[in-house]
Amino acid sequence: MSTSERHALQQQVTLLELVDRVLNKGVVLSGDITLSVAGVDLVYVGLRVLLSSVGNLERLANEAPPRAALRSQAGS
Amino acid sequence: MIHVYAIARELEELPPVGGLGDAPLERRRVGGLDVVVSRTEADEPSEEAIIRHAEVVEALASRSNALLPARFGDVFSNERELAGAIERKRAELESALARVRGCVEFGLRVLLPDSDSARPRAARTGREYMALRLDEANRRTRLAEQVDEPLAELARASMRSAESSELLLAASYLVPERDAQEFRTRVELLQSRHPDLSIVCSGPWPPYSFAGETGSEE
Repeated sequence: MSTSERHALQQQVTLLELVDRVLNKGVVLSGDITLSVAGVDLVYVGLRVLLSSVGNLERLANEAPPRAALRSQAGS
Repeated sequence: MIHVYAIARELEELPPVGGLGDAPLERRRVGGLDVVVSRTEADEPSEEAIIRHAEVVEALASRSNALLPARFGDVFSNERELAGAIERKRAELESALARVRGCVEFGLRVLLPDSDSARPRAARTGREYMALRLDEANRRTRLAEQVDEPLAELARASMRSAESSELLLAASYLVPERDAQEFRTRVELLQSRHPDLSIVCSGPWPPYSFAGETGSEE
């Protein structure tokens, strides 16, 4: 991997890690997280497009962790 | 709605940044804890909103000794609900604050080279096939340990997340701030020792991965 490829990898991974942390980690005070799942999916789709622009980054993009903790709550 | 950014201890002044939709940040004192919030109309996780949330948390982290980032989407409809939720979770929040005090988080992703994960190995018998698979699994485990060990040694806590055929290791480390430089040095050392691996380290982050219940498992 060349230096510039490594640099690009670093940048994209950092963005992926940021989004992962904000959406999937962190303390939850309320019982339920009421994020719109469609909204979250759009963010991940956007990221995948971004990530796939650099060679083997596509593989990493597919490692976006499952959003196990996300629940949609109707009507609130 | 009230959007929560973080719970902090010994927070200095609020940072001069706006919250979601540029709404002013507000501080709520519940017991001895500072809760930083802003009013918001919608809590859609657009890329812009996610980055803004992260910026606020980052700015708060540099102004407090112990901070728990809140997960995006943790919204309340009124003040009483918010205060009640904090009271109910008080013990848990206190112990998480003690855990992350003075620490930053690093993320690590280690990719195997393409050729390695796709390496064709012909086995003549079922037994040979199983033996090869086992060898391969053991080799991976050892390699992941070689990377993880010197880093986990510096950390107050660490967590590994799901790995896959190409992702040898995905982990987060909670590292005392004074050891952050040493942590980076060790990552560089590991990279030069294993030139065929792609070791990507991100951070320092506020301690997102160690703020909730899962952070206490280690």
